[in-house]
Amino acid sequence: MMIGGAMMLASSNPMEHVLPHKLFEIRGVDVTNQMVMQVVATLFVLWLLVSAFRRHGRANPQNLESMVPRGSGHLFEIICNYLREQVARPILQHHTDRFIPYIWSVFFFIFGCNLLGLLPIDAITGVFSGDRWRTHLAGTATGNIVVTGTMAACTLVMMVVNGLRLGGMHYLAHFCPGPLWLAPLLIPVEIIGLVAKIFALTVRLFANMMAGHILLAVLLGFGTAASGLLGVAIAIPAIAGAAAITCLEIFVAALQAFIFTFLTTLFIGQSVVFHHDAHDEEHPAGDHGHAAPAH
Amino acid sequence: MALMKSASGAGVLGLLLPAMLLASEAHGAEKINPFEGTVANAVVTLITFGIVLFVLGKFVWPAVLTGLQRREEFIRNSLQTAKQEREEAEKLLKQYQEQIAGARQQATAIVDEGRRDAEVLRHKIQAEAKTDADAMLERARREIGIARDTAVKDLYTLSGKLATDLAGRIIQKEIDPATHERLIRDSINDLSTAKLHN
Repeated sequence: MMIGGAMMLASSNPMEHVLPHKLFEIRGVDVTNQMVMQVVATLFVLWLLVSAFRRHGRANPQNLESMVPRGSGHLFEIICNYLREQVARPILQHHTDRFIPYIWSVFFFIFGCNLLGLLPIDAITGVFSGDRWRTHLAGTATGNIVVTGTMAACTLVMMVVNGLRLGGMHYLAHFCPGPLWLAPLLIPVEIIGLVAKIFALTVRLFANMMAGHILLAVLLGFGTAASGLLGVAIAIPAIAGAAAITCLEIFVAALQAFIFTFLTTLFIGQSVVFHHDAHDEEHPAGDHGHAAPAH
Repeated sequence: MALMKSASGAGVLGLLLPAMLLASEAHGAEKINPFEGTVANAVVTLITFGIVLFVLGKFVWPAVLTGLQRREEFIRNSLQTAKQEREEAEKLLKQYQEQIAGARQQATAIVDEGRRDAEVLRHKIQAEAKTDADAMLERARREIGIARDTAVKDLYTLSGKLATDLAGRIIQKEIDPATHERLIRDSINDLSTAKLHN
């Protein structure tokens, strides 16, 4: 059915809905709808979180009531606390509070981009412009592989830089977990593994966001593919299906942001938390075991 | 769940993309590249994410983190204090229970001692009462004996006098007082002697 729909939509290709479209140009650089939405998402996230937590820093440490945020701050604090206690702490252990601002930022930035991408701005502006799908004022920033790749690259930088900063030789040593004579084989394999993690991170978010939007575009395309009574007969279930998929996509937007955040935390944890950290607590005198990262 | 969703997303993408690419090519449309992106995308991503990191890291996350840490500290301290107070209360309770048990033992000892003292006192009072009663009885007996002797003596005297008067009348002769006195005394002596013999 989906393939048939896609074939039907050749004239108004649903891919157009998810691809970047040039809106204007600044000094020879094309500014696309996805870039604009990324900026909008950034401003939206900043406004939302700054306004939600603006009174939070002035809490009286002796008064529990004043430490509890009000309104939307409460909701965001639940999310922050969940990410800190349930996601970051089991993985990052005593490094949790060092990395948690980055982890929170990743989650809210990706979630904001994912969520704003679901706004049917194209459809709404299309009603007024007369061209139903081609205003391209909006777009999903995370539906662009360069965007997700850049975010994954940030994770890579966090892994490597903090691995070297906090682990030093222990971090480098985990690139050769076996005997030294196997190093020529193991080191490339470990480096490939590291790149594969980042690649998986990139593709997972990109593919999920793009697939959801293509599916929505296809479903809505069914409604416009035919005219007359047949068009109405097709449009009703198609729009109902699109509404259901949109609800699912809201969940997917949160889920994918969570997965990206979780994997980022996991990868950073693999770089900065070593088994000997746990041993150190038991043997403060300094019985350093092997330096393999916690998996 | 996440893996299933990822797999389903990738599956949908894998199913749709070739069909749409094929369709667009078939219609002579512009060639579509789903992996389209430029360096500008990366730069914008870095800038926007950098701004998010900076602004939130500077103005929001420290407050949130401090709030969470303060709350954790507050709750930890409250629990610690509650635990200490509970231990202290348990210690006090144990102390009070020991004190109550001690007081109870002391009270029992005092009651026993009081009972013993009361018993001793009772015996003492009984003995004294008995002694007093015996003494009173003895005195009463003595007084009764004296009274009886006096009464008997008076009776003898009166009887002697009556007898003498009667005898005087019978013999029509007045007896002088000295004889009268002697006769009475002799009669009494006879009566006393007779009583002793009886």
